Parts: sequence; C-alpha cells; structure tokens
Amino acid sequence: MTIGRRGLVFAAGLVLLLVPAEVRAVQPTDQLRTQIDRVLRVLEDPELKKEGKVKARRAAVRKIANDIFDFSETAKRSLARHWPPRTPAEREEFVTLFADLLERGYISKIEVYGGEKIAYLGETIEGDLATVRTKITTKQQTDIPIDYRMLVRGEKWLVYDVIIEGVSLIANYRTQFNKIITTSSYQELVRRMKTKQEEFDEDERKRTSQR
Amino acid sequence: MERSRVNIAVGLFVLIGIAGLAYLSIQLGRVSFLGATGYVVTADFPSVGGLKAGSTVEIAGVEIGRVEAIGLADYQARVTLRIHAGVNLQEDSIASIKTKGLIGEKYLRISPGGSDRLIPPRGKIREVEAPVDFEELLSKYIFGKI
Repeated sequence: MTIGRRGLVFAAGLVLLLVPAEVRAVQPTDQLRTQIDRVLRVLEDPELKKEGKVKARRAAVRKIANDIFDFSETAKRSLARHWPPRTPAEREEFVTLFADLLERGYISKIEVYGGEKIAYLGETIEGDLATVRTKITTKQQTDIPIDYRMLVRGEKWLVYDVIIEGVSLIANYRTQFNKIITTSSYQELVRRMKTKQEEFDEDERKRTSQR
Repeated sequence: MERSRVNIAVGLFVLIGIAGLAYLSIQLGRVSFLGATGYVVTADFPSVGGLKAGSTVEIAGVEIGRVEAIGLADYQARVTLRIHAGVNLQEDSIASIKTKGLIGEKYLRISPGGSDRLIPPRGKIREVEAPVDFEELLSKYIFGKI
C-alpha cells in the first residue's frame, strides 16, 4: 500500500517535471519559419515595393527582426570579455548601436530579395540552445547554407547567432571588436560605430532627396 | 680497476643516451603519458577537415592545449581537447578550426567569451565554427551548380 502511494507521488512528480517541457513544445524551426515568412510577405508586398517606401519597408523588417532576434544576447556575446566591465547605460547604448550595425549590414541586403527559395533542413536542440539548419537556393542554383543558433527566452526561441557558409556572425564581430578595444579603447569602438551610423544616415538622406 | 671504471662510464653514457631518446620521442610524438595534466572538454563539429590528434589549441596565438582525440558521434566529428590547467573557458567561448597561413596545418582557435559561467572539466564547447572549405567555396561561386 505504502509502496503504491509512494509510486503515485513519484509519478505525479515526474508529470510535473515533464509539463514545462510539453508547454514550450513550440519548435524553434516553426518559430523561425513564421517570422521569416512574415519578412517575405513584407518584402513581396507590392504596396511597400513602391518608390519612397524604403523607410517604411525597412521599419517593418526591423520590427519583425526584433521579434525573432535577441540583439542584446548577440551584442553581449560579440563584446565577450569586454561586456562584464560595462555599466548598464553603456550596455544599453552598445546594444542599440550594434542593432543599427546589423541593420546596415543585413537588413539593407535582404531588400534585394527576389524570390530565392529557403529550405529548412532540420534542427538540433541541446538543453536551452538549438540550431536550425536552412539553405537558400539562389537563382543561379547556388546553395548557401545558413544556420540559426537559437536560445530559449521564456516560451520563445530567439536567434542569437547566424552562421552563413560556416562563418559565425558573433565570431566575426568578436574578433573585430576585440582588436579595436585592445589596440585603442572601448570608447574608440563606440565612437567608430556612431560615425559609421551617421555617415549611413547622411547617405540615405542624400539618396532619398535625389529622387 | 681501471677497466671497470671505463665500463661504468660507458654504461652511464648509454643510459643518458636512452633517456634523451625517450624524452625526444615523447616530445616529438606529442604523447602525454603518465599524469596528463589539465582538463578535458569536447566539441562537436560538422567537419574537422584536416585537424588531427596532437593539433594545437590556441587563444590569441598562444598554445593552451592540444587535441587529444577525434572520433565520430552521430555522424559528426567529436573533438576531445586537453586544456592546460589554469586556463578557463567561458560558456560562450567559440571554437573555430583555422588554417595556419593559406595552406598551413589546421589548428583549433578558441575565442574567449564574456559569460560568467565556465565550461567544467568534461564539459562541452557548444559554439563551434567548422573550417571553411576553400575549394568548395571557389567551385560554388565561380562555376555555380548545374
């Protein structure tokens, strides 16, 4: 009798342990696919394709990017050793600058999207981290492998690293940031990032006013 | 008397020679025997392309360990590294397989992270970068595919 009851308690405990895993059963691939499909819809929206709508389009893409990317985690991992000494205010400023940097580099590039195919090849989940493997097939039939590294934040899976053709985004920025900070200073890095952003904004203004 | 002294000298000389040889072969063969120091971590790569047991593990170009073994686990390459004691690897460290120069030997580069959690002995480096296959890249972007 006692053994049976003990068994019951054990089983109840086991069920309790298993429940959270069941609740967050949304798979990283599904979540990624939903957001990428949203981006594609924005890019293919004929209304947003019109001249002079670049700003609105970019804002829409950035909004979706904020839903799927964990920019603060990417920024933190890119700064690596130089992250812990930063004050909360510095961290916040850096995350914003870094998100702008990624927008300049990547969001402006995906605007040239012209119906390339995206295939989802599979996912591996390892504790609170996951890798989703995808492949983009260009019009010249070249395959570009893109892996998304994701982590659990509450109920959601968020992307923190993108590995294109085996090259990690974080590893790339980590090396560059480390070089700048060790040869000059953190302040110099922030100054450079700010000037780059100002130059970019200036260029954008010129381009839009020319039209 | 004189003769036995010569014999002892020759014997000592030979012993020193053998000890020297043993030392050399251990050093050159990169064998760690008896009391391998440091601790072991693993990392799974989609491909190791040319990395071998005995290859160096570096941070900022400084050797901090050696590749102890490479095996197959679930059709991925599982690399076992022996890291020198006293070198801590943060949980978000990235292990990349790099080439020395353009056509040099392969080594494993670790870029240290900023996490306050460390990888424990027998732990795993979860952020990895496989080596870039230049030939494959070249053929892909120059010739395209059929």
